[in-house]
Amino acid sequence: MNKMTNSRVKTFFSWALKLSLVGIVVLAILLAYLDAKVRDKFEGKRWALPAKVFARPLELYPGLALKPKYLIQELEQIGYHRVPSVVTPGQYSFDGQEMDIFRRYVTLYDGDEISARIHIRFSGGAIDGLWLDGQPVPLARLEPLLIGGIYPKHNEDRQLIQLSDAPSLLLKTLVAVEDRDFYDHFGISIKGIARALVVNVQRGGLVQGGSTLTQQLVKNFFLTRERTLVRKATEALMALLVEFHYSKEDILEAYLNEVYLGQSGRRAIHGFGLASQFYFGKHISRLTPPEIATLVGMVKGPSVYNPKRKPENAMARRNVVLGVMNEQGLISDYELAVWEKRELDVVQYSQYQRIEYPAFLDLVRRQLRSDYADSDLTSEGLRIYTSLDPIVQRSAEDAMSKRLAALESGYRMPQDSLQGAMVIAGTESGEVEAVVGDRNPRFFGFNRALDANRSIGSLAKPAVYLTALRQPEFNLITPLDDSEIKIAGANGNIWQPQNYDKESHGVVPLYQAMATSLNQATARLGLLVGLKNVVQTFYDLGVDKDVPEYPSIVLGAFEMNPFDVAQMYQTIAASGFKTPLKAIRGVTTADGQLLSRYGYDVKQTIKTEPIYLLQKIMQRVVQEGTARYLNSQFDEGLNLAGKTGTSDSQRDSWFAGFSGDKLAVVWVGRDDNESMPLTGASGALRVWAQTFKDLPLKPLFPLPTENIVEEWVNVAENAISSEECEGAVQLPFIEGRLPLHTQSCVVEQATDKPWWSRLFN
Amino acid sequence: MKFVVVVLVAFLSACSFQPYQSMDHMQQSSESLALLPNWYHERLGLQLNGGNEYPEQQALATLLQQADLEFIRGNFQACQILLERAQRISTREPSVYVRLSYLFWLNDNVDSAEQMARRALALVVRDEQATEEVKRLLYTIQANRY
Repeated sequence: MNKMTNSRVKTFFSWALKLSLVGIVVLAILLAYLDAKVRDKFEGKRWALPAKVFARPLELYPGLALKPKYLIQELEQIGYHRVPSVVTPGQYSFDGQEMDIFRRYVTLYDGDEISARIHIRFSGGAIDGLWLDGQPVPLARLEPLLIGGIYPKHNEDRQLIQLSDAPSLLLKTLVAVEDRDFYDHFGISIKGIARALVVNVQRGGLVQGGSTLTQQLVKNFFLTRERTLVRKATEALMALLVEFHYSKEDILEAYLNEVYLGQSGRRAIHGFGLASQFYFGKHISRLTPPEIATLVGMVKGPSVYNPKRKPENAMARRNVVLGVMNEQGLISDYELAVWEKRELDVVQYSQYQRIEYPAFLDLVRRQLRSDYADSDLTSEGLRIYTSLDPIVQRSAEDAMSKRLAALESGYRMPQDSLQGAMVIAGTESGEVEAVVGDRNPRFFGFNRALDANRSIGSLAKPAVYLTALRQPEFNLITPLDDSEIKIAGANGNIWQPQNYDKESHGVVPLYQAMATSLNQATARLGLLVGLKNVVQTFYDLGVDKDVPEYPSIVLGAFEMNPFDVAQMYQTIAASGFKTPLKAIRGVTTADGQLLSRYGYDVKQTIKTEPIYLLQKIMQRVVQEGTARYLNSQFDEGLNLAGKTGTSDSQRDSWFAGFSGDKLAVVWVGRDDNESMPLTGASGALRVWAQTFKDLPLKPLFPLPTENIVEEWVNVAENAISSEECEGAVQLPFIEGRLPLHTQSCVVEQATDKPWWSRLFN
Repeated sequence: MKFVVVVLVAFLSACSFQPYQSMDHMQQSSESLALLPNWYHERLGLQLNGGNEYPEQQALATLLQQADLEFIRGNFQACQILLERAQRISTREPSVYVRLSYLFWLNDNVDSAEQMARRALALVVRDEQATEEVKRLLYTIQANRY
């Protein structure tokens, strides 16, 4: 019996020993694995820093057309505070005519601008005088608006700080609230767990956690939020390893940068550095004790205690933290009493409380893709300086959402059935100033400005007329036949375009056919000049997709997106000089080293003379053609030019128009591609007009060359005439391409002479 | 004696407000500048000869002056950035494009130099003398003489 017992005991110990050995080996392997993981994270790059994307810096100079309200709008957006009298950077004052701005230090890709007082005098909607620190200056720049980031997978955003940046009160408060034994334990705290247990039992709920700061850091860095014993054990092991390898200061600094402190849209706010900017608009070193209490209080539940969304919860939690600070002797009883009553004082606007521009950011990201890997953009903290003009962008967004709603209501269309997109660019620079990809401008999703490929309708016509004007046989008054036309396609189908009014207009001069957007005349002209040549003109204008050589392309029966249309019209607006549309000016590293620059580039692809004539026709489109609505909305002296476009069955409403300095292309339509009761003139044109109604525009003066001559002609006769002849009008022609005939006319005596003149004659 | 000369040259170099540039580069610049048409110097060009005109608009003139200064210092990238700022203020200022043309030309980017000159040519149409001079600049670039 004893022998049996002994044998069993031996077997048991033998197995226990074997199992223990296996356990030790497994534990050793696990520890080695966890150790490698911990060291890899801590000694490698700990955080992916998203690229920061900036708008253009506003360049101020005497003569700049800028209404004070727009400057104030921009200052508020970049986090400046209005005060009666400026004393520190980040403030501005305005008395109705003069403005003082205390500019912060500005870092740009082409150099820095020091902090200085800028004084501006306005007159008539423009800057009349400019002073920097009391001295008159010709120009001054403001800091650019931070318009978004290019985030890694979980949209984590943070602003890295060093431990020395954080006020000691913050560190002491954090330790007092989250982990009082932080400086004494080795990663896990039995005392802390016991204390938390007692407190929780006493207060009848989960008031205090037992995790140390190190455990919290490990959980955030490496583990999921699941509540299992295995996860807890792994967390404890890793916390021990972290403590074994790194100093308390290292751990605390990592914690300060890692902790999650709320959400702003899709962006996750991580770390105290970004949180102090986001919630209080200030650097972490300048936080006040109640602000510190608010932020430390948020660690427990960033959503529940969010001071912007749940101010009551946040205030209650802040006061609990203030109580702890008082208990620990960090603040006095008097301070506690005063600060408990204080408001939260979170900022409404700050650079870090930004409005994002998804459609524009999408364009930036796509344009950077050729030079940068996605991982560089989401992890290296690059600074990307763009050409976005927040004033123009805001106006475009407002116009799009308000006009679409008005159109739906005016035409009794279902609410939210319309969608729209817009691209605005500088005509000469090719810099993209605004992009709208959805009627909800904050929507991160399908970007219609870049991806909605739709039939362009009559927006194609300028290419047809330009093709004609490039050929020696055509001039502005060349008679075109606007009678019915039938064209047999290769598959036997008959293509029979009709005019919008279903009428034929007989013989019309070339310029009028385009100004009134006649389909029949344009179809005939397209065939006359040759489809191959029309396609070549599209390419010369900057269209870089295949344009099929079908007759219907002359009426825009092929698809383009608003951005590509803007590229095509930029070449027209810039007198035949194609400049690739670009959204980026420069990229620097996180510490300001210039990595790449995207400078001005241009290529003349069309001769200036035919483009000059085309611009003249496009001005007529606005003066007397399909876009004449603009004439009632804008000063005639702006000489705006443009073209409306309506696709088959009114599925797409387009307008492309330009002034001397800005080009905008607007598309309005439905995502389900159903028809609408809208044309280019009644839809997109209205959005265009509302966008620019209040913005300063420079007048358009087409550039004549020495080969352009102004001649009096009789349009009906297609003949050269003279000023005195009845019906004579003066029009521009390319030298050598004048009408072949000359009209002779008898100059009648003027009958409108004064009565005394007639009497003496 | 040799030591004194070396020290003197070093001292004078240190006193110069312009950053150090290699003689080759300075020589190349001055030779190229000398070959530029008179009109370029007188009406649009770099302010090397004194008494030349900048546009009346102060902001534009300041940026052009700064661009010229950077050009003389050999900081071509800074020069180009300033010219692009000038272009945003006055998109149709021909002297901006002439300067850009020259800048590209010195950087052996003949295609861009030609395109900038063409852009300038389209903008000076009302000024006969300017047109002639920009044409000459264009022909010179096309001939790639320098």
